[in-house]
Amino acid sequence: MSSSTSKAIDPSSVELWDHSHHHHDVLSTRTFGFWLYMLSDAMIFALLFAAWGVLSYSHSFAGGPIPADFVKPGYAFLQTLALFGSVLAYGFTMVALKNGNKAGVISGLWGALILGAAFLALDINDVVHLLDAGITPQRSGGLSAFFILTQTHALHILFGLLWMLVMLVQVSRFGFTTEVVGRMLTLRLFWHFQAVIWVFVFVFVYLRGMLI
Amino acid sequence: MSHDNPLQHPEVQVASGRGYLLTFLVSTLLMGVALFLVTSHSVAPFGLMLALSLCAGLAVIVQIYFLMHMDLSEAQIWNTFALVLTIPLFILAIGLTAWMFQELYQRTMVMLPGMPGMLH
Repeated sequence: MSSSTSKAIDPSSVELWDHSHHHHDVLSTRTFGFWLYMLSDAMIFALLFAAWGVLSYSHSFAGGPIPADFVKPGYAFLQTLALFGSVLAYGFTMVALKNGNKAGVISGLWGALILGAAFLALDINDVVHLLDAGITPQRSGGLSAFFILTQTHALHILFGLLWMLVMLVQVSRFGFTTEVVGRMLTLRLFWHFQAVIWVFVFVFVYLRGMLI
Repeated sequence: MSHDNPLQHPEVQVASGRGYLLTFLVSTLLMGVALFLVTSHSVAPFGLMLALSLCAGLAVIVQIYFLMHMDLSEAQIWNTFALVLTIPLFILAIGLTAWMFQELYQRTMVMLPGMPGMLH
């Protein structure tokens, strides 16, 4: 310390800025930024769950169909299997990525895509049957809250599937560049977080719906 | 901290097939248990809601740890920190809304049929 302070500083030659090239940790920064986005996205779900919480009393259904009449927990459990399976497939995709296994990443993405599409197909089939039976969002406040919560989750799944299609193209075309790996990491956060949200949707909408 | 090979980055290297498989098995099992509790009608409503919440809570904790890799390691601690600071916001948003509306319903809709059967 004493040696550095005793040295005379020449103002004409002093270096004010550090011009040396620093690598930013792009992947950590992006992953953290995307995680903050996921948490704010989760706030949307928190508000939808709050709305469902206050609009799932028996009087919230305005004398119309109540969840106990129309929710099918066994069917929703099939959706659970499809989504958890898709999340597992994406997990194995990340293991293949760790090992630099391109064929493994491609097949893992296909697995996650197909199982995710199965989840979405089950959801759409369920919604179509409900609407056919006159169980529509405009029937009562309780039904509005039910549809907006479950379908906001389904919309997330749709965007995750589109993102997987994009990644299938990018991985096969560009390989494991920093950009592509960064997108695989943020998609991992996005996709795995949908499983966390689904646990709450399954338990507090489909299963609790049986008790309303 | 430079990584010439993006695959060597800790965010990539944290992947664990065993952890993901464990998460799948445990959370599927817990959801199966929750499904069984509801369909078998073997538990009274209040105890049932408690048991369901327990299943959901356990499944989410397993997923947060093994799937989202939230822990106190150098690579993950800020993600965990952000999550821990956001959880109170979830609790306030849902809890206060539920409490306010329950009070409101009790004060304004006492005569409404179906209210005594409320499960909240």
